[in-house]
Amino acid sequence: MASRRRMLLKGCWSEFANALFMKCLLLRDLWQGWEDFSDESVSCNVQLKYVNRKFSNQYKATIGADFLTKEVQFEDRLFTLQIWDTAGQERFQSLGVAFYRGADCCVLVYDVNVMKSFDNLNNWREEFLIQASPSDPENFPFVVLGNKIDVDGGNSRVVSEKKAKAWCASKGNIPYFETSAKEGFNVEAAFQCIAKNALKNEPEEEICSQWIYLKVLRSTLEASSVID
Amino acid sequence: MSSDLSSSTSGDDPADPNHDSAPKTLEDQFASVALNVPENDAPASQESLNGVANGSLTDNNHRTEIESNERQGTAGGAEERIESNLEVEEVRESVERSVVWTRTISELEVEGPSSPSSSGYAGERGSTSASSGGSGIDGMGEDEIQEVRNDGSIDGVSDSPASWVPGKRHLDEDDASISWRKRKKHFFILSNSGKPIYSRYGDEHKLAGFSATLQAIISFVENGGDRVKLVRAGKHQVVFLVKGPIYLVCISCTEEPYESLRGQLELIYGQMILILTKSVNRCFEKNPKFDMTPLLGGTDVVFSSLIHSFSWDPATFLHAYTCLPLAYATRQAAGAILQDVADSGVLFAILMCKHKVVSLVGAQKASLHPDDMLLLANFVMSSESFRQATLTMLSLMSCFDDNFTSTSESFSPICLPRYNPMAFLYAYVHYFDVDTYLMLLTTSSDAFYHLKDCRIRIEMVLLKSNVLSEVQRSMLDGGMHVEDLPMDPSPRSGYLSPHLGQPRDSPERFRESYVGIGGPAGLWHFIYRSIFLDQYVSSELSPPINGPRQQKRLYRAYQKLYASMHDRGIGPHKTQFRRDENYVLLCWVTPDFELYAAFDPLADKALAIKTCNRVSQWVKDVENEIFLLGASPFSW
Repeated sequence: MASRRRMLLKGCWSEFANALFMKCLLLRDLWQGWEDFSDESVSCNVQLKYVNRKFSNQYKATIGADFLTKEVQFEDRLFTLQIWDTAGQERFQSLGVAFYRGADCCVLVYDVNVMKSFDNLNNWREEFLIQASPSDPENFPFVVLGNKIDVDGGNSRVVSEKKAKAWCASKGNIPYFETSAKEGFNVEAAFQCIAKNALKNEPEEEICSQWIYLKVLRSTLEASSVID
Repeated sequence: MSSDLSSSTSGDDPADPNHDSAPKTLEDQFASVALNVPENDAPASQESLNGVANGSLTDNNHRTEIESNERQGTAGGAEERIESNLEVEEVRESVERSVVWTRTISELEVEGPSSPSSSGYAGERGSTSASSGGSGIDGMGEDEIQEVRNDGSIDGVSDSPASWVPGKRHLDEDDASISWRKRKKHFFILSNSGKPIYSRYGDEHKLAGFSATLQAIISFVENGGDRVKLVRAGKHQVVFLVKGPIYLVCISCTEEPYESLRGQLELIYGQMILILTKSVNRCFEKNPKFDMTPLLGGTDVVFSSLIHSFSWDPATFLHAYTCLPLAYATRQAAGAILQDVADSGVLFAILMCKHKVVSLVGAQKASLHPDDMLLLANFVMSSESFRQATLTMLSLMSCFDDNFTSTSESFSPICLPRYNPMAFLYAYVHYFDVDTYLMLLTTSSDAFYHLKDCRIRIEMVLLKSNVLSEVQRSMLDGGMHVEDLPMDPSPRSGYLSPHLGQPRDSPERFRESYVGIGGPAGLWHFIYRSIFLDQYVSSELSPPINGPRQQKRLYRAYQKLYASMHDRGIGPHKTQFRRDENYVLLCWVTPDFELYAAFDPLADKALAIKTCNRVSQWVKDVENEIFLLGASPFSW
């Protein structure tokens, strides 16, 4: 029976998608002194130049999370990143598993000027692995961002790049980026890396042969109707 | 079907054994009318005199009722049967709105003759609530008028079936666009991880943030051990439907009832299952990251055409299908050959003309739900693939040995959600002409050549017995026209009503005198739904109900009526009479059928009731031609 027949596809699956979509969690502390910035969070700062943010403040107030959309071009493919930012709030805990469910990648952010925020990276990572319980935790695509390197010309910095990189290395070589969200420094590179890692991590999908058939049928027709 | 007849025609027969409680109320309600029928001529003037006197009295009562609502504000909640579960604010708003309308309506009602209070309806008005006036006025009127105003400017796209082109529109929009936010009705499908799957307007990926928000709202409430069904925000309703890992959301300011919007979400979910089966659930279980969007890529047309049909196809809320009117013998001939094929291992054989059934046959014990038929027909009609498959496909398909497509025929996996949501069936689809197509469903993926042979046999018989040309003719002639409603004042005398075609052929037609004003007694339109057959018949649209906007407005009114008649909270109702500035709407539910009728807003109530009796009689007289009889009963 063909209906019982299933196909395992690696890589092939994404060929069906014109554009790839990723759910991306942004985990961080609600830092002290955050208010120094003209905007209130990393994501908001990122947004000023890079991310398309809308109505975020209303969302955050009620649900405890902020949602952003970012498009990234990687090689010849367009990625849409759906960024879930808790803004370090406790309230997002009310979303529980739903917040973590189906995440394709996880961005851990700390403030290079605040030691506590760096110490907490471990907690955020552990929490993520418990709640999201990814099928392959060893290879789940994390990215660490050391943010606010621009503050006070770098004089108030307390977490060294070396220390941060050592921690990342100990956790399975998590890619590390130093960013200045305010100035947009290195942010694009970080998102590129996120897209690249998430693509590598793409799992094998078990797919009905009928789905493939339907998909081929449709794409052929789309093509033929263009010709017409 | 014989019980149908008795319930409506023997209104004056109290000893009808078939119905106990239900018809009793009916008889009460229609007793005065039924008695009036034979002595039609003489007491007519007396009746109308009564009507005017009593009518103005009731109108006065009615007006004070609503004015008092205004003063009390929230007290309106008690009166508002349909929207009684709203927040206080909402009710107050609607009462304020209804007050505006009250003036117009009272004026209308005073001018037009009203029903005698001696009719059972006077009492009924109280028990089916103020809905006869109050909630009919409320909201609906305002919305509809606004709709007329807005449709052109905001939707931007004409809804006229002729110019309506299926497919996704406004791809450039997202939730920041003013135009997107002004759209009157949004539909979204998303996964339980907040990934967008489908959006009626705008690009799904650009709506990622919005989709995440919807998921967050649903999860937020679920975490509290609760479920969110409906959120009201001003004029907007946000309706949620959770189907395992799939979330469906409708955001609408069309003032359609919650039940209707929810039903529409159910259909959208069913359409998705029809394309993919419920085994997508397993994909989500195994991998919560699963992204369904690529699977549905290219099916935008299927969803947009389904959503479009919510405003023109009564089947979307009646849960019944409709047949193309055909002579009994013609339909029999088609049924016979389909049956022949079904006996050879075909699960369902369906011959359709657009969305109307010509004939259909199921294998033993197999039954087809009307909603499945609606979704299947929508899938086939909206996918150009079934009409114009190309040669390119042939070579492409060679890698899928069990699936095959050629120029005028196609073979595609589909799933019937009500039949078996887990399994794929295979649909062989062949178009005989632009509108008429045959669907043969089977469980076997290797059946293509067998089904092709079946089709050739069917085609030969259909051509030989002229079924296809009859189908064409019926398409042109249409079905029941309100203008043709037989005038015979005594439908009970056992006469045989002429065939559907006959009055149309006869030289002196009644309808000439009604051109532009509908049928007798101001009857504009009706829908008759046979409960046993799961079929409905709708009269042809004719002036003053012409054009897609009037049609949409009328169907929305019917839909509201349907929802209120089937509201479980207040129990099923038997009859309802509403008058607003657009129509008089009359609904009559018996164990055998449901009749929805629209009249001129100035129509006389007693006459309208009488006309409904005549309509139900007329339908029964021609049921051989408008319904598919003897088909296996459909299971829910």
